Amino acid sequence: MSSPFELPSYLEQSTAVADRFRKLHNRPIKLQVHQLSKEFHSPKGKVNALRELNFQIHRREFITVIGPSGCGKTTLIRILAGLDFPSSGQVMLDGKSMKGPSAERGMVFQDYTLFPWLSVKKNVMFGLEVKGMGKMKAESEAMEWLEIVGLSKFAEVYPSQLSGGMKQRVAIARSLANRPEILFLDEPFGALDAQTRASMQDYLLKIWRNVDVTIFFVTHDLDEAVYLSDRIIVLKANPGEIDELIEVPVPRPRSPEQFLSPEFLATKKRLEDLIRPADSNSNETVPMIRLTEIGDEVE
Amino acid sequence: MHIRKDLSPGKQSLLTTGSFLIPLFLWTIVSYAPFIWHPDIKLQVSADRSGVTTVFTAGDRVSKEFFPTFSEAIRVENQAIMEAREQNKPIIGSRRDNLKKLRHLAPLAVANGWLEVKEQQNDEKLYGVWKGLAEGSLKSTEVELTEENIEVIRSNWRLLSAYAPTYDSKRYPTEAMLKLIPQGVSSNPVYLPAPHEVIQAGWRDFTTKPDNDMPTMWERYRHSLTIIFWGFTYSCLLGIPLAILCGSLDFFSKLHEPFIDFFRYMPAPTFSVLFVAFLGTSDAPKIMLVFVGTFFQLVLVIANTTRLLEKSLLEAAQTLGANRRQLLKRVIVPGILPNLYNDLRILLGWSWTWLVIAELIGEKTGLTGFIDTQGTRYNFDRVFPVIILIGFTGFFTDRFFHGLRDLLFPWTEEAQTGAKGPITRFILRMSNHSSYADRTKA
Repeated sequence: MSSPFELPSYLEQSTAVADRFRKLHNRPIKLQVHQLSKEFHSPKGKVNALRELNFQIHRREFITVIGPSGCGKTTLIRILAGLDFPSSGQVMLDGKSMKGPSAERGMVFQDYTLFPWLSVKKNVMFGLEVKGMGKMKAESEAMEWLEIVGLSKFAEVYPSQLSGGMKQRVAIARSLANRPEILFLDEPFGALDAQTRASMQDYLLKIWRNVDVTIFFVTHDLDEAVYLSDRIIVLKANPGEIDELIEVPVPRPRSPEQFLSPEFLATKKRLEDLIRPADSNSNETVPMIRLTEIGDEVE
Repeated sequence: MHIRKDLSPGKQSLLTTGSFLIPLFLWTIVSYAPFIWHPDIKLQVSADRSGVTTVFTAGDRVSKEFFPTFSEAIRVENQAIMEAREQNKPIIGSRRDNLKKLRHLAPLAVANGWLEVKEQQNDEKLYGVWKGLAEGSLKSTEVELTEENIEVIRSNWRLLSAYAPTYDSKRYPTEAMLKLIPQGVSSNPVYLPAPHEVIQAGWRDFTTKPDNDMPTMWERYRHSLTIIFWGFTYSCLLGIPLAILCGSLDFFSKLHEPFIDFFRYMPAPTFSVLFVAFLGTSDAPKIMLVFVGTFFQLVLVIANTTRLLEKSLLEAAQTLGANRRQLLKRVIVPGILPNLYNDLRILLGWSWTWLVIAELIGEKTGLTGFIDTQGTRYNFDRVFPVIILIGFTGFFTDRFFHGLRDLLFPWTEEAQTGAKGPITRFILRMSNHSSYADRTKA
């Protein structure tokens, strides 16, 4: 497959971008993953969901994991959030190894997981109250966070009355209110329609710019990955290993116009090549049956 | 009629009313249309056949096949008496036999209001009735006497008045009097009383105080409700916490549920003797039976409801820093509450079944005690009002709790989208008028 345009290499970085990455790498390491493996035992035998992953995430970095379905993206994020345990290897947050889920590692799930019996405000207050914060203080903090995600008008409403995008904004506010060190988002916009998804991406970038939080993002949408991230981890399936770690050459601040910039397209092309490698068995096509000849010679 | 399409609210309530009216209508038709079913004859005037031990009194039912045989037998007996009398060799009749024949008119006299129910053995008053009917001063309006029977009455009166022109308890004919020929109307079997009979019997039972020390119907009703209440309350108090623990922690589940699962197959009533043995014959064994009947089901059902709570909610709470105790208190309990509430509604329905059995152990009490007593006496017209009362009680408590659900759990989808039933609308109107207005607008 040859491209009609001459795209620059995705490895080429403008000086501003290169400078940014240099600074980023000098920041303290927030999350360190060392020789992480996860095996599942199925009746058919052992499955290597993840094999010997090594990477590190710096403070306030936006890192995305992308890969074909079944590559262990969700397994990885669940292990990092403490909801699953690795078979071997280590995950360290701020240099300390961790056990089980905790408030330092917030998580936003694809299916919203708001507590349906609590109003929007009470949902955001949940983590604060669990920590033992007084009701008054928790309430005022929750209101601040709702202000940030633009939902203060809906504070008293139950989640079931909100649209998908609004629900996900509440879920993000709820996690951020806890002031986590790192926020994990597992395909958070996967269930949203294209327009809502686009505006949610902008929302997330805006919030991230204003809040000191490291973001670990899982998606299968290539545009989303390039648009949001500093770096992209490309996983491959069977066994789940890091295929490539890409530094996105698209300068910040990001805006929708950049979707057609050469750096953006080059990065996206690279991702596409990695995830859908030059169609290994392209001869295998779906058999088609045409029932009637239309006969208008339009093929 | 579209498959799986909701009807308009107007049509829905029309059909709801219809669902009650259809069986009521069928019952009425079967009861009042004499050409449908009616396999029996309900006797209005009865007679004793000589040499037969089975005795029928007025009010009893005999099958339509048997009735002609019955009345023909009496006619033959009368024939014999008449023939003997004509040959001047009258058959001897004891005072006792003749008194019995005279007393067969008593139910008819009661029906016409000439005698009180208690006066059926009052021979002096009966004498007056025979006289009145024979001389034509009394006319039976409730039960139309056949020509045949009027003849019998006249003939007997001629004999009676010859011996005793005025009433005298010692003077009765010494020769056999004629028997009244059985008379009746076609009717349904005793176990299907007509609606008006049921209403009358129910009204009588629920408004009059029984003469002996027996409790009134309302006291019985309250007694039944008390037993259900305590049995079910104890079941909830012990069962719900255990069930939530079993549903949340595999340790408790594996420790308790296998035995509970086994125990619930042992029918609770079989333990009733045991309960009476160690709890005595008071209400305690009855409450215990309702408890045992509901407890084991409750634990299993609610443990399962607890397990059905979305796991992702628990995970979300954990990533927000909730510890185990907080998960239980802040996520599991509030999360399962609406479903738990529904489970309890269903289990409350079951506890009525257990109540019926509970009330029959030891001393028979409550509504079931009444049903049992009247049932063995074939007073089915008095049984039905009680059965219907139990049905209505169950139905309306369930409707009430169903209506309350939307108010208790306004966040559930049903509460936000579902149509409000009459009870909910009523409570909403009573509690907060403005919120009701907002909801209907929205």
